[in-house]
Amino acid sequence: MELDDLKNTWKGIDNQLKNQQNLNPKMIDQMTKTKYYSSLKKIAYSEIIGILLCFAGAAYVALNFGKLDTTFLQGVGIVSILLLLTLSVISVISLRQFSMKENVNEPYAETVKVFAITKLRFHKFQRINITLSYLLLVITIILLSKFFGGNDITDSKYFWVFSFSFGYIFLLFYSKWVMKYYNKTLKQTEELLLELQP
Amino acid sequence: MDKKETFIAAIKDNEGLIYKVASFYTNTIEDRKDLVQEIIYQLWKSFDSFNQKSGLSTWMYRVAMNVAIYHLKISKRNFLTVPMDGQFSNLHETDNGGFEEKWKALRQQLDKLNLLDRGIILLYLENKSYEEIAQITGISESNVGTKMFRIKEKLKKQINKQL
Repeated sequence: MELDDLKNTWKGIDNQLKNQQNLNPKMIDQMTKTKYYSSLKKIAYSEIIGILLCFAGAAYVALNFGKLDTTFLQGVGIVSILLLLTLSVISVISLRQFSMKENVNEPYAETVKVFAITKLRFHKFQRINITLSYLLLVITIILLSKFFGGNDITDSKYFWVFSFSFGYIFLLFYSKWVMKYYNKTLKQTEELLLELQP
Repeated sequence: MDKKETFIAAIKDNEGLIYKVASFYTNTIEDRKDLVQEIIYQLWKSFDSFNQKSGLSTWMYRVAMNVAIYHLKISKRNFLTVPMDGQFSNLHETDNGGFEEKWKALRQQLDKLNLLDRGIILLYLENKSYEEIAQITGISESNVGTKMFRIKEKLKKQINKQL
């Protein structure tokens, strides 16, 4: 397919799209008044729920800190609070990246550059987020068994055997997936940034 | 004519431009609808900053394409891999004549390009001159020429790989 073929196909798309264009003055007027862009709201809601859950979790551990009777469990409690707060901060930062603060009047190449930088940053945060989530999962199991069962699950040798073996398998698959999925897109993004350098 | 009426008239005159940019950067009808709305909203918000130095359509392309990039970020979808099925599912009443197949083939080629190249090729497909492409993208006219040559080479390589 040569560029001329692409042009002909695009012309066909142009004709097809003409049939779909049905904006009337009332609709345009509404669109200028209300920002009823749903996807952004959906993402914002899910992120906000995540942040609230993290805060609720941190508050719960803090309020029940007295039930943690050994130094180890107290250490786990502190780490869990820090982890939950860190995850919230990461979510807030990710959420802020979605806001359209940048000037939409900027030249396209400038926006592509900002987009590429944001994308790289976002991927880094995602990696940190998932790794921390795994750690939080292990810590949650320890804390929940103490809070609700009254047992110190860490006394059981099976817990450590299972948590470490499952953890290792998880991290093995996760890192392979991350390497496979992200490396290609990150490489492309980095190449794009190089291309955009003056 | 007040500001709002001028704006509505401008949108009506350039409706095709908005739909085409939205279609170029999205893979589903829902996404496209969202993007059309978002483009119009952002055009209105920055309507005051349109300084008449560049043509109206040049300014609209710039805003629409920039909004499309933000939409990619928001939609959290990887535009390189998302399937394109259903993109034109509501066009059956017209005689497609293998149109969907052609569209898919076109998208397969374009999706492999980076965002900058995609923007340049969109403007090329829209019959924009190198000067206009340079105005919209913010890269020099000579750079547009160089990039067009490279994009052509990239596309040729991609097609040869497929064969």
